[in-house]
Amino acid sequence: MARRSKRKSRRGNSNTSMLLIIAAVVVLVVVAGALALKPSQREQSHSLEQGQGFSVEDYRRDASRFTGNVYRIEGRVEHIETLGNDRIVAVAVPGNRQERLPLLVRSGAAGRVNLTRGDSFLFEVECCTGHTDDRREVKGVLVVRNVETK
Amino acid sequence: MNLSSRYLILLPLLCSSVSAQEQKPEPAAPAAAATVAQPAAPSNSQAPELFGVEFPLLDPASDTVSYKGGVFDVGNNAVVRARFEKYLQQNPDVSEDARKYRDKLEELVHVTQRNARSGKAVGGENMVQIGHGLYEMSEYPPDGGQSGALASAMASALAVQFANRKRDRENDKLQAEIDELVAHTNRLTNLNTGRGGRTPGASSRGNGKGKTSGGNAANTHSVKISHNTRKIAGHEAAQVKNDAESTAALALSKVNYQSMLVSLLLSRRFDHALIGANSYRHIFRDGDTTLKLEKDSQADKLFRNTAGMPPTVNSIASAASTARREVDQHMEAVNNLLEQNKLSDATQHLIEAVAVGEYMSSVSTFPAEKRRRIAEYWSLRRRVLTSLNARDYGTAEEIAKRMKELDRDFDDAMVMSYCAGKKQQSDLALRNAVKALQDGNDEEFNKYITEAGEIWPRNPRLAEGRRKLETIDSHDPVKQEFKTLISRGEFRTIFNEQTRFEVVAVDPELKEQYRDAITLISTIDGMLTQLDVAAQQDRVIGPCMAYEMLLDKKKEDERYASDPLFNDALNRYALAGHDFVQALEQAAECEKRDELGSALACYYRAQCIYPGSRMARAGAERVAQLILQAKF
Repeated sequence: MARRSKRKSRRGNSNTSMLLIIAAVVVLVVVAGALALKPSQREQSHSLEQGQGFSVEDYRRDASRFTGNVYRIEGRVEHIETLGNDRIVAVAVPGNRQERLPLLVRSGAAGRVNLTRGDSFLFEVECCTGHTDDRREVKGVLVVRNVETK
Repeated sequence: MNLSSRYLILLPLLCSSVSAQEQKPEPAAPAAAATVAQPAAPSNSQAPELFGVEFPLLDPASDTVSYKGGVFDVGNNAVVRARFEKYLQQNPDVSEDARKYRDKLEELVHVTQRNARSGKAVGGENMVQIGHGLYEMSEYPPDGGQSGALASAMASALAVQFANRKRDRENDKLQAEIDELVAHTNRLTNLNTGRGGRTPGASSRGNGKGKTSGGNAANTHSVKISHNTRKIAGHEAAQVKNDAESTAALALSKVNYQSMLVSLLLSRRFDHALIGANSYRHIFRDGDTTLKLEKDSQADKLFRNTAGMPPTVNSIASAASTARREVDQHMEAVNNLLEQNKLSDATQHLIEAVAVGEYMSSVSTFPAEKRRRIAEYWSLRRRVLTSLNARDYGTAEEIAKRMKELDRDFDDAMVMSYCAGKKQQSDLALRNAVKALQDGNDEEFNKYITEAGEIWPRNPRLAEGRRKLETIDSHDPVKQEFKTLISRGEFRTIFNEQTRFEVVAVDPELKEQYRDAITLISTIDGMLTQLDVAAQQDRVIGPCMAYEMLLDKKKEDERYASDPLFNDALNRYALAGHDFVQALEQAAECEKRDELGSALACYYRAQCIYPGSRMARAGAERVAQLILQAKF
């Protein structure tokens, strides 16, 4: 369900021309291969991976470890906490009814989707670190980027 | 006669009883002593006495007897009590001999009453019949010889009457002789003076001889006259002697007979007294029925005061009749009251009936079952009086309640209020003693504690106070130990030995600490008991709820944490609700590290395990608000 994405780094070598040549060749080969396989994913800086690697228990222990990662999570809305137009939604993930995963839904993040208790949705979330007005850090919060009905 | 027989009833009996109470032996009253009570109680030894005995006064209004300045309760008099209890324990006298005796007695009463109403003189045969009847009754042992004594008195009086009549006849004969002698003497005197005819001797011998012997005949007449004169004088002297003897014998006979009547009255043999009084007019036919009482004696005052007239034998008859009637009325009342289960009033009436007419048929045949009922009640009454005398007010109240159960009309107000008052007095003195003890005033303490004991020796609070006093000697070491335990927070030790540490309450400051410690441990124990029950009912949520509640208490009051049982319970519930506790602890830890995403997930996890958790809900709300306010 969840899709994991990896960011590839580009390396450059300006020390030797040989190395430059070899690198250029490699880059060309790689770019050509990537364009040939999936041209749409190349446009995203973050890749998504479903069904692998995300554990609610792990998240409870140390959420900041997931900072920067983006996930697609399916869950049923169990509880909603609001402040203005922002909401924190507690969702129960399939197969683990004894846990609730807190998701921050900023105003407009859900688009036209109406989040109601008892309904299941697909949430695209990113683990972020923020701060409060008094400069207190707020680590490991799953911020919803997109919501789809299921 | 308006004298109530109740004034007569207990006279010999109470004389002895009062003497016994005062422990001053009085001279024994003779059986034939004619005694009556007087309305005013004598207050000194100078009071007039009759036959050497003075008598108390019974006040029917209060059932008390005034004697020599003292007032005695009839119901609480030792001798009255003993006689009444003896009566209650006796079987009713219903034997054949007793029935015959009572029938004969009743018959004689009727016969003598009929004779008394008769205008004619009763013949000797009738009196002999009465005498035989009395002698016949005297053979019955319970009669006590009273019938025989009355019969003997009647026989003696009649014998005196016969002797007097014989002397009267002798006097008549002497008078006839005197008259003849006087006539003869007169004739002789006339012959001597020549105014009369011939001498009795000359008339028989011829006229010639009579004239020639005139001088010698005169001498002869003078001698005869002298002889006749002496003889007349002798006869007259004999007549005077007979008259004097008759008068003396009659007076003595009357006194003896009247003494017998009064004695019978005072010994409560009213039937016998009535028989004797009714026969009096037929024994002494001179019409004089005045009682020969010593002037200014108590008996004389009694009869004189009651009617203002000289007392007569009829006064005795009236008193006996009144007494018989009163006894029967008392017994009728007793039976009626027993049917209504009014034991108190029935007992009172029976006491008076027994005291007045112990030998009367209605009293002596009173059924045994009814006697037993009254005996039980009487026993309780005795015990109440004994308890009150012993100042055992608790027991007196219990017995009064029992009497109230037996007789709902029993008026226990006096006993109960008296006991309550005494108990309150004792308790008040004890309170003052405690106050004096707290003030450290030993003198006042000793005074009040003694007063409390004297008022109510068996006051249970006295024993309690004694125990406290015994422990107060070890006051200082206990006080030090108490302070140490307080400083260490070992409240449960104080609770477990609260009886020993109770003495520190003398100190106001320590008293507060003592009370707080007892209250704290009592609260903890009560709370743990309730939580145990809840944890048993739901083995998932129960321990979580218990843990959370104990944790709250621990935060509220740090003294809870010092109790080992409280901590044991907290650990036990933490173990039983491990997941919940771990979630809360992990949430708190994450919150400290600003890992608010994890913290909120942990609080949610705790809420899933125990949905009612206040701590999880509060934590979740707090963290959620922080996240919502944050900028990402």
